Amino acid sequence: MNLSLSGRGYAGGMVKLDLSSGKVEKVVLSQRDALMVLGGKGLGSLLLYNSVRRGVDPLSPENPLILATGPLTGTLAPSSCRFSIVTKSPHTGLFLDSNCGGFFGVELKKAGFDAAIIIGKASQLSMVVIDDGDVYVEDATWLMGLKTMEAEKKVKDRLGEGFRVLTIGPAGEESVPIAGIFTDQRCAGRGGAGAVMGSKNLKSIAVRGEKPITVYDPDGFEKACWRAHRRIRMHEVTARSLPIYGTVNIIETVNEAGALPTNNFKTGVFQDAWKISGYEWRRGLWKKDKACFGCPIACSKLAFSSSYVVDGPDYETLWALGPLCGVSDKEAIVYANWLCDAYGVDTISTGVIVSFVMELYERKILKSEDIDGIDAEWGSSEALLKLVEKICRGDGVGRELRLGVKKLSVKYGCEDVAMHVKGLEMPGYEPRAAKGMGLGYATSDRGACHLRAYTADKELLAYGGAVDPVKVDGKAKLVVDYQNEKALIDSTGICFFASFALSFREIGEMLATATGLPLDEADTLRTIGERVYNLTRLFNVREGVRRKDDCLPRRLLKEHMPEGPAKGSTVELDKMLNEYYVLREWDENGIPKSETIKRLNLDAIISLEN
Amino acid sequence: MSFGKLIRLSRIIDPSDGRSLVVAADHGLMLGPIKGVVDLEATLRKVIAGGPDAILVSPGQARRLSHLFAGRSAPAMLVRIDWTNAFRDKTYTLPARSIQFNRVTTVEEAVKIGASGVVTYLFLGFDGEEDHIAMVEEFSSECKTWSMPLIIEPLPMGPRVTKANYVDMVKRAVEKAVELGADALKVPYTGDPYSFKEVIGVSSGVPVLVLGGYKALSIRDSLEVISEVLDVGAAGVVFGRNVVQDPNPDEAVRLMRRIIHGKETVMDILREKIKPPVKILIEAEKCSGCRVCELACSFFHEKVFDFSFARLRVKYSEDGRTFTPYACTLCYSCVNACPNGALRVNGKTGAVEVSQELCQGCGICVDSCPVKVLKLINGRLLLCDLCDGLPECVKWCSRNALRVEGGW
Repeated sequence: MNLSLSGRGYAGGMVKLDLSSGKVEKVVLSQRDALMVLGGKGLGSLLLYNSVRRGVDPLSPENPLILATGPLTGTLAPSSCRFSIVTKSPHTGLFLDSNCGGFFGVELKKAGFDAAIIIGKASQLSMVVIDDGDVYVEDATWLMGLKTMEAEKKVKDRLGEGFRVLTIGPAGEESVPIAGIFTDQRCAGRGGAGAVMGSKNLKSIAVRGEKPITVYDPDGFEKACWRAHRRIRMHEVTARSLPIYGTVNIIETVNEAGALPTNNFKTGVFQDAWKISGYEWRRGLWKKDKACFGCPIACSKLAFSSSYVVDGPDYETLWALGPLCGVSDKEAIVYANWLCDAYGVDTISTGVIVSFVMELYERKILKSEDIDGIDAEWGSSEALLKLVEKICRGDGVGRELRLGVKKLSVKYGCEDVAMHVKGLEMPGYEPRAAKGMGLGYATSDRGACHLRAYTADKELLAYGGAVDPVKVDGKAKLVVDYQNEKALIDSTGICFFASFALSFREIGEMLATATGLPLDEADTLRTIGERVYNLTRLFNVREGVRRKDDCLPRRLLKEHMPEGPAKGSTVELDKMLNEYYVLREWDENGIPKSETIKRLNLDAIISLEN
Repeated sequence: MSFGKLIRLSRIIDPSDGRSLVVAADHGLMLGPIKGVVDLEATLRKVIAGGPDAILVSPGQARRLSHLFAGRSAPAMLVRIDWTNAFRDKTYTLPARSIQFNRVTTVEEAVKIGASGVVTYLFLGFDGEEDHIAMVEEFSSECKTWSMPLIIEPLPMGPRVTKANYVDMVKRAVEKAVELGADALKVPYTGDPYSFKEVIGVSSGVPVLVLGGYKALSIRDSLEVISEVLDVGAAGVVFGRNVVQDPNPDEAVRLMRRIIHGKETVMDILREKIKPPVKILIEAEKCSGCRVCELACSFFHEKVFDFSFARLRVKYSEDGRTFTPYACTLCYSCVNACPNGALRVNGKTGAVEVSQELCQGCGICVDSCPVKVLKLINGRLLLCDLCDGLPECVKWCSRNALRVEGGW
């Protein structure tokens, strides 16, 4: 079983590029690594762990920017468009993976690479061109300061047909810690991967490939993929909710559960949620459904205005730029969304920053003259747009705001209401009204993230059987299971949304027939997921993360939820955390035990010395 | 099994072939007034015209619509005897926050209504298991007393159910249902025939009927699922929304019968429906630009994933606002343009065929194609062969942006 992986779902190779020296090195992806961590997030974390030392500055040339596809990327497996961007985050100083759709990952694999690892720093603003196995660096000073969509279009125009382009906006160029990386109107938004790209003087990465993707057992693979597609077409969430209303379909339900964070998490109930429901968007600004490569769901909705097209807003963006700031003005939210996309910043972090400013304003810690004359009242769409614009452009007070709420709270105080974990701003599910989400944020490998353990599906949406959202019993187990499963999904190349309709047996069938590797058993996949999650934890532990960092803002632990179904509730984090560490087989300080590392064979693929 | 149970069960599962087609129409009780069950009588009249073996209804509807079940050729009546809020997810008013369940009638009452069987859920994986099992056990004893067949619907449900353990949970739930005295089972499909064979393996010979769940995109999808589960030993199906929400419930039942009792294949049925020439119809406004059609085309003809080998294409507009699929329109411009007579029309499907001996690779046909779907790659002409009458691009399109005239 020591055959090359090439032609078996995988491209079989990786490319390493040093921007400082211009050196390009092509390496083979080993079957051992594929069996251990699969691809995507798993492969990216392995490469990251083994290539940097502890304490490396995220914005230094040594920090690698890793793009990794999974074995199913670019095939008929449903929604197989995904690739992961893995790096050390400048926003949290910890592990970061950001999973992205569109068409870029597929093209990277067709160019012959399962992963690209970019280190170093170019002497001037540059772009990397990967033209079917040819990898070179070009000047990109002519793209300086361009918005993401403009830059993407200009690169495509220059290089010709067939190229897919990753790009950063002006914010990324300035290494703003909330800057994302954009492609095909999709975004690897969270944690500041765009800043890492900017720190390397890298504006764009363009890729075109001409090597068709093939699989090990075409007939078996076709049958497995067809069954998976059919499942998606017969599942309520993937056949109805997401295709029609996008991710926004849940907003009223989340609100009804008192779990829609409003006014910087002061409450979980937003009176005007109905004004921004999926139904309202569908009959209003959304004009077109849009899908990523090979996706039967098409969760993206395009909002058209006369001068721009926005892919969105999706649920998180809508919430962060809407209810979180008390805003329900759809036009304003769409424009704020467009600004974030254009300048290249994360919509969630941006919204949380604006709401933090609004709270400081309410507490009179910030006055209008401190924030360039803006009256930052809750619910003011005018203030929202002005603040978002300043954050995007880095104008005036925006220069400081764009550093994130953690740094702002160090300066202005009010750390108890700075809504972040490990420095990453919090997404749109109120932990006091969905305790599993709280534990998920606290133990997520990249800081507050809803997509590491999406327990909201059972806690709030009652999908697959309802779970009492306010109780803590059993939540640790749920979070552990979900984190492992999500780590696996992010390593395959298919989208989390497609996996809503699929069991691990169905996913395993696709993986096994695509690769010819023994990946069909659910237990094998669960173990890979657990291994990947422990690997990212080990990275963070190496950087000094301990139990004290697995925390939530004081507001969620001490302030009682004032209204709604979760009225009176706070998050009993310690209780859940104790149980969580035991289930994870980590010690009481949150460090994976040596037996755990051995059981998962992690000692065979990483060096625990450095 | 008692004689009474045996006789009643034979009204549900046809003793001559051991198979059954049940139509579920009890959604009003669990979900609310979903499409297809609002005017239940009208829908069921159509359903009955198709000839199902049995119909599952709530006790109230059973009484109200008893006349539909009277007569010698009428379907058997199955009565739902429990209720749950578990399926009322966010789409419905009053979504479930915790799983509730209760009985809605007694088996004695079901006998009086004229039921040939009663149906109850059995959930596994949630906090209330203890009470739930006690309730199902009560049903089981009542069924023994009244010689009423008990159909148990074992479902993994709640916090302990994950993607990794789903198949395992279905197996455990099925085992429990058998232990509690099920005379037949209504089981969710696990998605692939291999794992479902394992599920049937633990059913101790109790007949397994597969439930349909959410409405499939097309009748083709549901027929395929039926065919797949029968192949690994299922006795039939209990399909609800895939019948009652179909525009033609009678036709849907008829087609399902042909698979279940007639032992026909899905391909036979589809080929009969589609009359040549096979015409691919396009509704561009439904297209989401996912390009699965191109991917499927390249895979089925060349065994690779690469848009450049596709015999159709999706064009993105310059402003990114519209996506338009183009497929062969059977205009035959290429046939007329070919100077070497290398192209001809296949009489069976209407597709254009190329004679490799006569083709000179000149590319005149490529230029003549008004929708630009002909390709010349390394001297080889790639053209749409309509997949011998059942185009793969249409099969894989999840938005019905591509359809076949007269087809599924």
